[in-house]
Amino acid sequence: MDQPHLHLQLNNRLPLGICVLDAAYQVVYWNDFFSDRTGLPFAEVQGKNLLELFPQQARYLKKKIDSVLVLNNASFSYWEHQPHVFPFSSSRPITGEETLMYQNIEFLPGECDDSAVRTVCLVVQDVTELASYFQAEQQLSARLEQEGAELKVLNEKLSMAQSQLLQSEKMAAIGQLAAGVAHEINNPIGFISSNLQTLQDYATRLLKLTAFYEKIVSKTGNETFLALQRDTYQRLQFDFVRTDLPELLTESIDGIDRVAEIVKNLKAFSHVDNAQWQPANLVDGLENTLKIAANQLKYHVEIHRDYAADLPEVYCQPNQINQVLLNLLVNAAQAMDHKGHLYLRAWQQDQSVCIEVRDSGPGIAPEHMSRLFEPFFTTKPVGSGTGLGLSLSYSIVKKHQGDILVQSQPGEGASFVVCLPIAGPADSSPADSSRSV
Amino acid sequence: MSMLLSELQRDALQELMNISMGQAANALARLIDAKITLSIPKIVVVDASEFQQMFLTDQYWFTRQSFLGSVKGEALTLLARAGTETIGGLMDYALPLDDRSKEELLLELANILAGACLNGFSTQLALHTKLSMPTMFNAELRQADSFRWSSTLLLEVEFQLEGTAFDSRIVICLEQLSIDVLINKLNTLLEE
Repeated sequence: MDQPHLHLQLNNRLPLGICVLDAAYQVVYWNDFFSDRTGLPFAEVQGKNLLELFPQQARYLKKKIDSVLVLNNASFSYWEHQPHVFPFSSSRPITGEETLMYQNIEFLPGECDDSAVRTVCLVVQDVTELASYFQAEQQLSARLEQEGAELKVLNEKLSMAQSQLLQSEKMAAIGQLAAGVAHEINNPIGFISSNLQTLQDYATRLLKLTAFYEKIVSKTGNETFLALQRDTYQRLQFDFVRTDLPELLTESIDGIDRVAEIVKNLKAFSHVDNAQWQPANLVDGLENTLKIAANQLKYHVEIHRDYAADLPEVYCQPNQINQVLLNLLVNAAQAMDHKGHLYLRAWQQDQSVCIEVRDSGPGIAPEHMSRLFEPFFTTKPVGSGTGLGLSLSYSIVKKHQGDILVQSQPGEGASFVVCLPIAGPADSSPADSSRSV
Repeated sequence: MSMLLSELQRDALQELMNISMGQAANALARLIDAKITLSIPKIVVVDASEFQQMFLTDQYWFTRQSFLGSVKGEALTLLARAGTETIGGLMDYALPLDDRSKEELLLELANILAGACLNGFSTQLALHTKLSMPTMFNAELRQADSFRWSSTLLLEVEFQLEGTAFDSRIVICLEQLSIDVLINKLNTLLEE
């Protein structure tokens, strides 16, 4: 076999498309790869302009070929950028999902004289398999990356939930402790209170007795006795004792009454499972709750009340609703850093009673609004909030088939409105009236 | 300076590079119809860590392509990130460039520039070389100690497109054995 014949045979056996053009883009040669895929045997295209044979790709091909002609330098076309320069169909028509062949093309300078390029050789490589493998790989890695990112978010959520759970457990333990302490304190407070009452009674009697003796001594007119009495009074500062003693006792009784009230409320609140459904006056509930939150509010918070008259009682679980109101009050107090204005409003709206708690604090950031009722979401520093308050409130209100609405503009305070249906939830049959949370 | 090249050899090489690069710049200017200025070629021997220094910048994109022939090595092209749009316009790309067309542009540019340089260099020294397809090169992933060589010869030329922020540096790196081939060629030329 002679050399040219061998080369020709080899050219047609190669898994590569080979096409040689002259400087006028006319086909000088193309191998079987081109013939087979275009259906045009070489004899038919010889001398024809390649750009006219593939008009769709003419602009791109011309640019590439010109670059070779001008620079006498190879040029390349990548499947990543131009996947289907020649409209050849896929080499995998049966099993592949690709319809067109992915191609890498080399544009090589051929013969040249005086540095002017006479011919350009196009070598087309079918990289369909590589391309689809690469694309599958890329999809896979994109999916992995996405899954990784999701996992990271989940992990962060988990660790946040974990630390918040720890916090809420601590709070629950403190709550239980407080309830226990309240119970223990209740007894001594009982007898201190009753003893103080008796003491007040006794003291009054003693002072009356002293006054009686005084009168008798002055009746005797005996100067020695009178002088002695004056001396003793002075030495014992009895005039002061006489006025101060009743005051001290009154104050103490007042104080112990307040302690008793706090303990009573603490006990009421630690019994969250006390979920009796009954008609209740929401304004009374709000006022009672205010007393409990008093230590959060008392310093520099001015309270403005605007309650509609003759509000009907609402069929609800008063303790639970008080819990909701307490949350709102405490949040408001903390938002205002314990100074500012607190506006409380109550009104009837159709078949519901609404309570509004509005503060003059810094308001809620828009990005936090959507997460307010999410469990464990809190903007308070670690240790100050469990992130459970509002989510618990939300679930309580929803159980009453009521609504809890929030409105806030940054810098203009926040307003929370709780609306409860007067008749209670539609399904609050007596059977589950004692259901606990 | 270079331990591998004598002063005389280096000067000769630099002169040869200067001539060939001028031709390359001319051809390029004709292709994209713009004025191109050219730095004096720089010839240095670097070790792996000095080589790595070249990539510690976010001013450039990097491409690489290997070449084979009587000398072997790789051509690295540094393409300024600023001014890619301008040159894209000159090269007849649809603006604005998306990621795919930007990569296509960068690879085409790199191929033209590196091809012109290597062609000029080979022709002047009567060597023959064949350049392969360029690919994008993410050099940050390479550690200096992962290179299999201790020092290499770099031939560096800087192209500047006049009136734009675009500039490009082409670095031809020769492998060890090819440096000897180059030195022999230079000696023959110098003796003539």
